[in-house]
Amino acid sequence: MTIVETQGLSKTFRAGVFKKGQIEALRDVSLSVEAGEIFGLLGPNGAGKTTFVKILLSISHPTIGVARVFGHKLGALSIRQKSGYLPENHRYPQFLTGLQTLLLFGNLHGLKGPILKGKAQSLLQRVGLKDWMNIKIKRYSKGMLQRLGMAQALLNDPELLFLDEPTDGVDPVGRKEIRDVLKGLKAHGATIFLNSHLLSEVELICDRVAILNKGQVLRVGTISEITAPQLEYEIQLESAISERLSETIRSIVREAHANDRVLRVAVPDKHVLNHVLDAIRKEGILIESVVPRRASLEDYFIKVLQSGEGT
Amino acid sequence: MKGVAMIVVTIREAILRGTLIFYFAVGNIIVAFVAFAIKASPDGSAVLVFGNPIPAKSLMGISPVDFLLIQLQRSSTSAIMFLGIFAVAGLIPSMLEKGTAELYLSKPLSRTSLFLSRSFGATIAIALNILYFALVIWALFGIKLGVWHSGFLLSCLMVAIAFAFYFSVVAFTSLLTRSQGFAIMLGFVFWFLSSALETREYGIYKLWDNQVYHRILDILYYATPQISGMLENATRLIGRNPFDRMLGPQATADFTIMPFVYSLLSASAIYALAARYFSKQDY
Repeated sequence: MTIVETQGLSKTFRAGVFKKGQIEALRDVSLSVEAGEIFGLLGPNGAGKTTFVKILLSISHPTIGVARVFGHKLGALSIRQKSGYLPENHRYPQFLTGLQTLLLFGNLHGLKGPILKGKAQSLLQRVGLKDWMNIKIKRYSKGMLQRLGMAQALLNDPELLFLDEPTDGVDPVGRKEIRDVLKGLKAHGATIFLNSHLLSEVELICDRVAILNKGQVLRVGTISEITAPQLEYEIQLESAISERLSETIRSIVREAHANDRVLRVAVPDKHVLNHVLDAIRKEGILIESVVPRRASLEDYFIKVLQSGEGT
Repeated sequence: MKGVAMIVVTIREAILRGTLIFYFAVGNIIVAFVAFAIKASPDGSAVLVFGNPIPAKSLMGISPVDFLLIQLQRSSTSAIMFLGIFAVAGLIPSMLEKGTAELYLSKPLSRTSLFLSRSFGATIAIALNILYFALVIWALFGIKLGVWHSGFLLSCLMVAIAFAFYFSVVAFTSLLTRSQGFAIMLGFVFWFLSSALETREYGIYKLWDNQVYHRILDILYYATPQISGMLENATRLIGRNPFDRMLGPQATADFTIMPFVYSLLSASAIYALAARYFSKQDY
């Protein structure tokens, strides 16, 4: 079942004193997110990730394009009723305590009374803020505010959770705890939409990802689908390779990096790899090992952005 | 329920910002001053201010209690309005700050409800102060002078309503500018504009003898809350106001509800326009 579906979603902001300048924050974005998956939207700062989420929650409005969330058109209150949102750089009323903050936002969700209070207390315990619940949030650290934001986003037991840089400012232990919370939510059937530029985090928990750059979707797929086309090998040699051999190898493969006795090559298939190995042997250099190396999401991400796609 | 939660948090924010505390403190200073200044003469026949009876010439034919309450109300309404705007003008811009707007707008509450409950919260915060002030003054006059002046209470209720209509202009400008400073400045400009429009026939009409210009001023007068008209009429609920003659020879000294009716309509239109504008904005 598709929870989020967008078709040709574009957003142009007008800028400047007389609003004559135009900034294209999103360009023809078509994506779908299935029920129960953790979907990661990746991109550098300013790629349009936050704008995309804000449009889905009707905090911003699209210039053109259509989108449906839970099958409802954008703007329907039922979308926000069933969604949780942790914005990036969120600011809570500083005069409230952690518990009061959750009670306020719970009220805005239509929750009330002892049920809300019990829920708020249990969430604060879950995110590790139990001892801080009656302390004003102006005393909270950035990591604690992020945990509070996470609790706030979970108040209404959301079926769809939007998280914008949820681990920003959180220490490694806290990050693991947040990852565990997300995995627990997924196990209970929630759909999670994660905006992040922390690729290692995304790689650990996302089922599928999309790469967004300058408002355009460059790739969509599972982590393995996205990184699989790149066969990379690390070849350990007995002695350093000569400049002549380097040139020979570069004539066989597009990407090769030699560093003393280590050669890294990206090849389209194993036949090409064997051509490289033949060339090395022909030079009389002994091969100590050939280790396949799976490109990380980060490698791939940087490669896609550097290739200039989306410009 | 959701709107009520927003109203409650708005009032709390107004209190915790400190400006509303200052507002409350100023009201109490006035109350203390009145408590100290007035008392009845030993035989109960006259009202003494700092131990002296009010000269009959100053009373202009009205009772000393009416005179004192009218003086008090006239001098304090300006402070009530100015400080009231200062105390709560920042509440809408603070809701629209980056990082806060996203939190509120992502909740299942329509933008119209969000904006109106925020505005009502700000208005209620000031109205409660005005009514507290009115009740204490009313009780003081009752206890010290034996006069339980219901007209004064009603008059203060009308001042609170006038503030609510006046705040519509400030709420809209703070929505447009997202700035507390601009909202306060434009609120004050509107105050002076409203005073000028109220007496336009004896004042700004004469700046340019042109019918189109006069009609534009008339439209402005009816399209915006009639602050001066409402406050003048609120005063008339206390008693015949000897200062009414300042409005001009043709001005009536009788209370009329019409400025409140026109202001209700214009404030409703302003709130509707503001809600429409808010619903179209990106945050």
